[in-house]
Amino acid sequence: MPELRFAAIGTSWSIETPDILDAALVTRVEGRIEEFDRTWSRFRSDSLVSTVAESGGSYDFPADAPQLFDLYDELFRATDGAVTPLVGRGLETLGYDREYSLTPTGPAAPADDWSAEVSRRGSRLITDAPVLIDVGAAGKGYLVDLVGELLTDAGVREFVIDASGDLLVSVASPRRIALEHPFDPSLAIGVVTMSRGSICASGSNRRVWGSGLHHILDGRTGEPTRDIVATWAIADAALVADGLATALFFADPAVLAETFEFEYVRLFASGRAESSPAFPGELFR
Amino acid sequence: MRLKNSYALSAFAGVTLVGALAGCSSTASMDTGSNAAAASTEPSAAASTGASTGASTGASTSYKDGDYTADGTYQSPAGLGKITVAVTLAGGVVTAIKVDGHATDPTAKAYQSDFDSGIAGKVVGKKIDALNVTNVSGSSLTSGGFDKAIKAIEAQASA
Repeated sequence: MPELRFAAIGTSWSIETPDILDAALVTRVEGRIEEFDRTWSRFRSDSLVSTVAESGGSYDFPADAPQLFDLYDELFRATDGAVTPLVGRGLETLGYDREYSLTPTGPAAPADDWSAEVSRRGSRLITDAPVLIDVGAAGKGYLVDLVGELLTDAGVREFVIDASGDLLVSVASPRRIALEHPFDPSLAIGVVTMSRGSICASGSNRRVWGSGLHHILDGRTGEPTRDIVATWAIADAALVADGLATALFFADPAVLAETFEFEYVRLFASGRAESSPAFPGELFR
Repeated sequence: MRLKNSYALSAFAGVTLVGALAGCSSTASMDTGSNAAAASTEPSAAASTGASTGASTGASTSYKDGDYTADGTYQSPAGLGKITVAVTLAGGVVTAIKVDGHATDPTAKAYQSDFDSGIAGKVVGKKIDALNVTNVSGSSLTSGGFDKAIKAIEAQASA
């Protein structure tokens, strides 16, 4: 299938479709990505989240923003606050800032409480204090969904959107997708076969975590968070798969399953892997 | 989509590093002597970030021949990791490349050695090239660091 390749939001993208996408649709895709970036990128000084980080107040987010915020609400609840959009400040303190200084400016601090600091009314976000919002855990997946929506709305029924390893698939004949070895990109630890839905991976440098939550999770799962080195989540929407791939670092899959419908693989530091019973693929053992 | 060992360094310039969600740093050095042979990964990391192997074989910038090394860092949930990339340039073309994933984090270290020993009952890695797959899901921990190291080498070689 013809393939459209481009770089956006810090990763490379590929969109495969049966026919070459027409120029007008490509322009719409680019425009949508730019709009997303202008809203959500904490690495842009002119973005909305950068403005929110400057001072408290009442901010109007795009009309679709509640989809992303709602998912974060659910993830926040399901992971006892481990997955939160307010990790931004902590990451910045640790040097993961706009200039990528990677120079800590202070000790790691707990994230502000997403459920207490910020209130929402529709797509309006109200905060008393400046908060740094980081949607790194699910934002890319959400953008993949948005691009998929543009394709579907334009009558493109078959496509594979691959945003550097986070995929949304809608094809007639199933795709075989390798699960990349987290430490050697020439290797796979398994293969997934799917024709519809999304698979997203976590284990890379976009991961976010709440300070001091290791102990909570250690006690509940018996597996220290640090022992998980990679996760994959499969769900209908990339938004959900992406968010869950992160959440799987912090929460018992059974707890997440109370809220979400998904399949998963978790890879532990020991080399052991676990997958959900209906995981549509194979792990190499 | 595999990165060939010998193609113009300028092709690496197509790798997009700037962005909203990625973060890496690198330190470059001309120290060509030390190459601790730890678990070395093949440089296909760059391929997964979208470097086009077909692009720009006609280098517009000239690079000095020689051996170069640079470090790249990456952020994993377990902390900061480091890789060292060593590149040999001859005639402006990469003739040899070596990546040392000398994990400083004990978890990563244990993980790598566990994988190397192929303990029964645990998952094992198979070569993606041999799997007949169309896509790869995952963001390898080292690819960002690899890209950064290559950028640093590029800067050294064109200085």
